[in-house]
Amino acid sequence: MTTEEHRGIRSYKEDRERYAGFYALSQQSENPEIRVAGRLAKFVSEARDTILTAHEEGRPFVNNNYCTAPEITEAMDIPWLMLYEAPFMAVSVEGLSDQIDETGAMGLGTDLCTAIRSSIYYVEKDLVPVPSAVIGFIFPCDGMPMLHQVIKHSKTWGHIPMFCPDPPYFNDDRSIDYFANELKKMTAFLEKETGAKLDMDRLREVVEESDRQYLLWQEYNELRRAVPCPHGYGLGGPMCFAVSQMFKVGHKDGTEWFQNLVDLTEEKVEKGIGAVEKEKIRLFWFDIMPSGFIFEFMPWLEEEFGAVVVMDMFGNHPYTTIDTSDEQEIWRGLAKRGLFDTPMVRQAMGPAEGFVDDLVRIVKDYQIDVVVWPGHMGHKETQGTFGIMREACRELGVPFMDIRMDIFDRRYTTPDQIKDKFARFFAGIGVG
Amino acid sequence: MDPTASSEAFATMAEAASTLVNPALQRWRDDGGRVIGFLCSMVPEELFMAAGLLPFRMRATGSTGTDLADAYFTNLNCSFPRHCLNLALEGEFEFLDGVVGINSCDHIRRLYDNWKRNVDTGFLHFISLPRQSGPDQIQWYTQECRMLRDALAESFAVEIKDDDVRAAIRLANQGRGLQRALYALRKQERPPINGEQALVIMVAGTAMPKEEYNALLSRLLTELDGVQGEGDYRARLMITGGILDDPAWVRAVESVGGLVVTDGTCFGARLMWQDIDEEAEDPLEALARYYLADRPSCPRLLDTQEKRTQFTVKMCRDFNCDGVLGEKMMFCDQWDVENYMLDMDLADEGIPFLRIDREYLTSATGQLKTRVQAFIESMGK
Repeated sequence: MTTEEHRGIRSYKEDRERYAGFYALSQQSENPEIRVAGRLAKFVSEARDTILTAHEEGRPFVNNNYCTAPEITEAMDIPWLMLYEAPFMAVSVEGLSDQIDETGAMGLGTDLCTAIRSSIYYVEKDLVPVPSAVIGFIFPCDGMPMLHQVIKHSKTWGHIPMFCPDPPYFNDDRSIDYFANELKKMTAFLEKETGAKLDMDRLREVVEESDRQYLLWQEYNELRRAVPCPHGYGLGGPMCFAVSQMFKVGHKDGTEWFQNLVDLTEEKVEKGIGAVEKEKIRLFWFDIMPSGFIFEFMPWLEEEFGAVVVMDMFGNHPYTTIDTSDEQEIWRGLAKRGLFDTPMVRQAMGPAEGFVDDLVRIVKDYQIDVVVWPGHMGHKETQGTFGIMREACRELGVPFMDIRMDIFDRRYTTPDQIKDKFARFFAGIGVG
Repeated sequence: MDPTASSEAFATMAEAASTLVNPALQRWRDDGGRVIGFLCSMVPEELFMAAGLLPFRMRATGSTGTDLADAYFTNLNCSFPRHCLNLALEGEFEFLDGVVGINSCDHIRRLYDNWKRNVDTGFLHFISLPRQSGPDQIQWYTQECRMLRDALAESFAVEIKDDDVRAAIRLANQGRGLQRALYALRKQERPPINGEQALVIMVAGTAMPKEEYNALLSRLLTELDGVQGEGDYRARLMITGGILDDPAWVRAVESVGGLVVTDGTCFGARLMWQDIDEEAEDPLEALARYYLADRPSCPRLLDTQEKRTQFTVKMCRDFNCDGVLGEKMMFCDQWDVENYMLDMDLADEGIPFLRIDREYLTSATGQLKTRVQAFIESMGK
């Protein structure tokens, strides 16, 4: 008698093959940028393989997150996946609209963030490999703790031990110490649930390697300040995030990838080559990019208007390196990184100043012509910062464009509607 | 006959619930008293009382639109903070000497951010509320209470001793006890008050000096003693959900035969179902423990869902409810997902459940009435 393979495992196997295929295809290109971008697919494939191998060997693997110190799970050599990644990766999956519609049929409100709805869907329908333990991620918005409450309530994942580092609201020393202590408790939880032990020397190595990645990322972002900007929406930004915080945290492979990216970009900047032939409008995309349908309007923006996304929320680099000479500073550094450096969390969790400070800095540093606020329907805290951001832009003298879209669901505001909004806006400010 | 119709005590409370600046609050101010607005029921109002200040639970009673606030919020934000900010921008909250915010939800914390930038209010303070309620979080919240106490003491030039906090806790507990006595009357087959009136009484308790409120409620309880209501309802209902301070909404529910006999809302039973420990060595820790761990929580705190379902089921059984209405403000992620789980849990318990999305202002009630009517029909009542 054969037992049916778990759907999550099956889907991870499909992913492993699919991304390996993307990688192989990309390496045939003569364009080095495509080859660099393609390596991300290899990293995804390898990450899937790590989980599948652990599953086959009966070893524990856990759920962790980009903002709850993945350096620790890496240092403990515990394979980890991120449930919340599922809706982001699924944007390219056929049938996503059906999945979104099914969340409504399940009884979730259509005004609930699609990323939260989809993650709940993946848990309730058992579509992700079931981890041995869950490190929860209960910030920066109201939806995340509710997702974890559903995990506890669910028939599929409800039995799994869970630890959720508790987030403070502000970024003062007291808050950092508090969260550092939460990370220590998290480590004790991981040791208990997996049997792995944390070696502080190994953690130091991982942190130092991740620091090297962050320094290279910073260097890369300095290069993006160039006029014309060497890359647009297609390379850099969110990829840097995915490599350094999800798929190659503290790995030499990741560092090497960053080095390649910097080398390529340097060459382009030296030659004065931009992402488009004639760069006319420098955009700051202040949220997550809609990776599932971005190809349906970004190339048009570049070709039609010479409008280039010079910076976006996930490509933004506010990271500070961690002082590894002192054990307590490692904990504090990881706490600060998780709470106040990582994108989306950094801006959305605390007071509105988090948005404004980044906005002002990026507009100035990158000579931004237009701030584009996609207004993702799920980001309620950002919706409440709308007026504050707009006023900040007025003070800076930079136009502020708001779209109001669902970055996961192309039906909410369609690519054609988005194009129309851009065309009208550019005409309105006299650049179209 | 409606026993509250001739009650002066009830009339006073009804006025307090239907206005922002009620006569009792005005008298307090005329006598030199100061008033602090707070944005969520998780804020420990006992600290304001201990400082000799009048706590005022923020609501947007009387608001008719959000034109001014719409420059700051979008239409995907909860309408409660939008109406609150609008009233503030119109100058309707000038009677406040301070406002205390808290990160109890994404909308409320942004209300504070926008308020801070656009409304001239003397004292402003923000509380960092944990997401969980374990020992470390209680310790954190105790410190937050201490910081709030010290900020109040400094800004209002008052000394706040532990005994002042204890006295405030006792006074607040006294009010809670009276409110529970009021709710106990609603267990009767023919309760002397309906859900609309009960909400009026609860809202009034958040807008006037506690001594005065407690005295009024004591009087009202005496008046209601032994009185029976008309009992002409079709179904006994419980309401669960977030902020509900508008008795007109409950009136609409009751107009089609659903008598609201209890609730699990933050202007209702969740405010008073539990007392704060009066004997604790550290009264600030007692406050932290109460607000985070002891009282029936809203979904804001992780790991409280099971307890909340148990609370709802128990209330349903104790008050002999036929069904539960789960009201949710539009765009509230917390109650949206909570109701998703509660729906499943109540189905397991055999308790009918109706989910209703609502806006802060009760305007067109036709759809609400139709849905409640259909719900009652579906229960065979």
